[in-house]
Amino acid sequence: MDPSLYLDRDTWVHRLDPRTKMFLLLGMFALPFVFLNPLYVLGVLALVLYFGYLAESLVNLRRIWFILFMIIVVTPILWSIVGSGRTPLFLFVEREALLYGLSTAQRIVITVIAGMIFLSTTRNEEVAIGLVRLGIPYRFAFAVSTALRLVPTIVATGLTIGQAQRSRGLDLESGNIIQRIRKHLPLLVPVFVTTVRSTNVFSMALESKGFGARPGRTFYLHTAMGRRDALVLIAFVVLLAGCIALRVAGYGGLEGFTR
Amino acid sequence: MKEVFAMWRHTQLVVLVALSAAIYAAVLIPFKGFPIVPGYIELRPANAFPIVFGLLFGPAGVWGSAIGNTIGDFVGGTLTVGSVGGFVGNFFLALLPYKMWSVFFRRDENIETNVDSGKKFGVYILVTILASTVCAVIIAWWVDLLGLFPFRVFFALILFNNAIMAGVLGPVLLLALYPRVKRWGLLWTEIMEPEEVSSSRLQRSGAILVWVGGIGGAAVGLILSLTGAATMGVGVGIVLIPFMIAILVGAFMLGGREQVEAAQEMLEGEGSEA
Amino acid sequence: MEPAVSFEGLAYRYRGQQKPALKGVDVEVAEGEFVVVMGPSGAGKSTLCVSLNGLIPHFFKGKMEGEVRVRGRSTREGKVGEFAQEVGLVFQDFEAQLFSTNVALEVAFGPENFAVEREEMVRRVESVLGQVRLEGFENRTPATLSGGQKQRLAIASVLAIEPRILCLDEPTTDLDPIGKLGIFEIAEDLKDRDDVTLIVVEHETEETLDADRIIVLREGEIVADRPAREVLRDVELLQESSVMPLQVTRYFHERGLWQGQLPLTPEEGVAEFKRRGWRVSPERHQKLVEADAKRKEGYGDSVIEVEGLTYRYPNGVVALEGVDLTVRRGEFLAVLGQNGSGKTTLVKHFNGLLKPTEGTVRVGGEETTKQGLRRLGQTVGYVFQNPDHQIFSDTVFDEVAFGPKIRGMEEDETKEQVEEALAAVSLQGRGDEDPFGLTKGERQRVAVASVLAVRPEVLILDEPTTGLDYAEQRSMMDLVKSLNEAGSTIIAVTHTMWVVAEYAHRAVVVRDGRVALQGTVREIFAEEDELRDASLRSPHIVSFGNALGYPVLSVEEMLKVTEEG
Repeated sequence: MDPSLYLDRDTWVHRLDPRTKMFLLLGMFALPFVFLNPLYVLGVLALVLYFGYLAESLVNLRRIWFILFMIIVVTPILWSIVGSGRTPLFLFVEREALLYGLSTAQRIVITVIAGMIFLSTTRNEEVAIGLVRLGIPYRFAFAVSTALRLVPTIVATGLTIGQAQRSRGLDLESGNIIQRIRKHLPLLVPVFVTTVRSTNVFSMALESKGFGARPGRTFYLHTAMGRRDALVLIAFVVLLAGCIALRVAGYGGLEGFTR
Repeated sequence: MKEVFAMWRHTQLVVLVALSAAIYAAVLIPFKGFPIVPGYIELRPANAFPIVFGLLFGPAGVWGSAIGNTIGDFVGGTLTVGSVGGFVGNFFLALLPYKMWSVFFRRDENIETNVDSGKKFGVYILVTILASTVCAVIIAWWVDLLGLFPFRVFFALILFNNAIMAGVLGPVLLLALYPRVKRWGLLWTEIMEPEEVSSSRLQRSGAILVWVGGIGGAAVGLILSLTGAATMGVGVGIVLIPFMIAILVGAFMLGGREQVEAAQEMLEGEGSEA
Repeated sequence: MEPAVSFEGLAYRYRGQQKPALKGVDVEVAEGEFVVVMGPSGAGKSTLCVSLNGLIPHFFKGKMEGEVRVRGRSTREGKVGEFAQEVGLVFQDFEAQLFSTNVALEVAFGPENFAVEREEMVRRVESVLGQVRLEGFENRTPATLSGGQKQRLAIASVLAIEPRILCLDEPTTDLDPIGKLGIFEIAEDLKDRDDVTLIVVEHETEETLDADRIIVLREGEIVADRPAREVLRDVELLQESSVMPLQVTRYFHERGLWQGQLPLTPEEGVAEFKRRGWRVSPERHQKLVEADAKRKEGYGDSVIEVEGLTYRYPNGVVALEGVDLTVRRGEFLAVLGQNGSGKTTLVKHFNGLLKPTEGTVRVGGEETTKQGLRRLGQTVGYVFQNPDHQIFSDTVFDEVAFGPKIRGMEEDETKEQVEEALAAVSLQGRGDEDPFGLTKGERQRVAVASVLAVRPEVLILDEPTTGLDYAEQRSMMDLVKSLNEAGSTIIAVTHTMWVVAEYAHRAVVVRDGRVALQGTVREIFAEEDELRDASLRSPHIVSFGNALGYPVLSVEEMLKVTEEG
């Protein structure tokens, strides 16, 4: 089983330069915050889902549906309790607070799905090379991309260790909270030890292949910003500007809400 | 802060950044399914890790914790703008313990970052509380500023989560891992050179600044948030800015060099022969 | 002509260690040579390898004396990165060396570091993948490759830098027979090239026949440096150095032949046997077969019953189909097959880690689905392949006591059982030591002890001999044998064929999720063609015996049945 989210498909989104995708991702962090009204935010959500459809990434929604579900349920409840508004609905809940909760839930969901699409269409090495092309030092980008690559491996090791310890009788289900936390030690220590122990071999292998031998390096992966990248970026900027203009003109806000 | 940037020259530390980030993320992800505040706070045994990583791997643990938290958010499906706060928060969560450690020990005492004595355990608890507070303040401030969640809710939950996990699991992990990491030659104090680490001349003042910024910021933030004396998030956010600055400046003033010097001395003691 | 590599009085002591790893090594390797380095664990073989490209002295913080010169240049001068262009080093642990998301990128990593032009890199990637027989694999994810493929990928990633000297440190450990074969084929191709000097650290004597020289290292010193065939004929030297001598060679040596005359392969052996007019005694051979049958009668009732077992992964892949198997008390069963055949999936049903998708698995008469893991763990102990996946305590004692303690055993009783278990694995008195300070073989024994401490009736061992040198392997298997003789039922999952031949009673061969062969070890090893189809190879002495018409399982047996005269 490969717990990485990357889906090896050939869509135009996949072929975009990683820098473009990073900008889009950052943009998706900003865009949902332009509007407060849940209906407007819903429009942004629909857009993101469509984009995910084009990128053939929606199948990964299956893997994070539980998180999304919890977000959609709990966030509005939380804000209904905590926030206050002008129009009372029932008990202590006001209409504006509930709406705020709904739109916040959507905003969170949008960023989650955007992140998921990013990971589904971008290889770790592309993340690294994108960061480097943006001016981040290679070693940092290398650490990030290697960490991404290693997470599934460590999860797999953790599962094997879990099997080994359960075979010896370790039972994680019983006991109170503190006891259950402590029972994780027979899992955490071997995971940590096995992984950290490989540091020296890994470092030796890196240096043996010339890591750090020269100040400059070349890249096998071919990335270049093309026309499509420019078009996509321009389209996004136009969209963002349009939304801001709408908001300034008075649409998409939420009156009467306080925290 | 010198060592935070100088560390990148050492291959082993670069690898440790990747490994600690990966371990942190890998242990975070299975627990994403037990949310307290879904999308933001879960029951996380892994919260003990940044402090342990910082004490063992120094700056490598710092970057590793920050990156690991972000990857955990990415892959676990909880990536939001709040994750920026998570990055910075975890950065400080791992940074402060090993930096503040130096403040409590004199030249002649054993300064190794293990909890194998009563005094060391006490110091551990103290720096854990401070680091957890600062981490909680940073993240809660950021999230409140963005209007996503009220300061008081987030602060309490993060502080609670961090402090409990670091307090319960941390010492046991550290006791188990320190001797092994040392045996493998992977303690940051044995890999880096003293000149690469910030000097500790100003560390007393730096420590005070960080405490004031952290505890003060927490107190003020809670009061404002609880009494509703601020309008929207921007109020709490702006008032807390001086405290954030205090934390940042204080962190730059902290040292750590003597820990590396002490480690080098121990190494030379071992290797000396006629 | 200048040697490719020369060691001049090299001595090295690692930081924090009392004993030096190398005590003064003087050796030269000429361009284009193929040299094999052998010796027991801890002899200093890996230390020798990492001295080749400057990791010693630049990466490790120890004390070095003497010089290592690569084409005249001392490794003291210059960084590891500079030597990496001349010397390619492939480590034993292939998992820890691979970190890219696809094969092409993994191979390109080296050239990238040396700022090779992109077009040239693309050319090299293709060429090198062809050399290691992974052509077309450019876009595969390393995680989906088999162990053998991963090791070949590691070799490819080093070859892409086009070094003139290549050093492989135990490249076939942890690989199944097919994986090993793949590596040997590459070594053959490389050795034929004049522009590559090949240095391989290896345990598998069977594959060192083609080397130019063999260097035997013991306790940091060279004890032999002679042409390969000469060393392979020096049976006593090899045995003293914890290297398994070639079985046919040892047989003839025990029969009294002079060193120079010893055959090395089964074919040579058969020819020599016939030339001398020796014979196998049919009566004595019959006695062996009868002893097998008698032993079979001595088994108890069945303790594990498998009927129609089928296992399907959640993603639909069928790992096992229609497996029937019975394990009787007191048996010693070997489960054979290559990686991915389903053998590990099969045994994981015996202690409840996996539940059948179809069919039943009964342990002690009751279905495993009705017994919890804890209860099954009491009857069936499972020792995992990698001891480091289990060990987490500060002391050996605590580690072994984990099982009993979890089951709520009293302190006195726990102490008794722990000490019993430690004595059984010859680690008595070492309860206070830190498990991570022990050697791999000792850690493996701690893992066995920690499973023994709950006194299970059945013991499952997953690849018990991986990573151990010959002496340690014998020691481990003798321990397992003594446990079996004391009454434990043993199930060993392994692909070390000589171990199966000499220790197991019965064997089951798994292939593509089904049972391909089942029977006594002697019966199974007689079917060499079937074994080959399942990608397994018989040990040399077994092939030798089969060629003569009388299946034998060990050198001792062969000696027993040979008639004087």
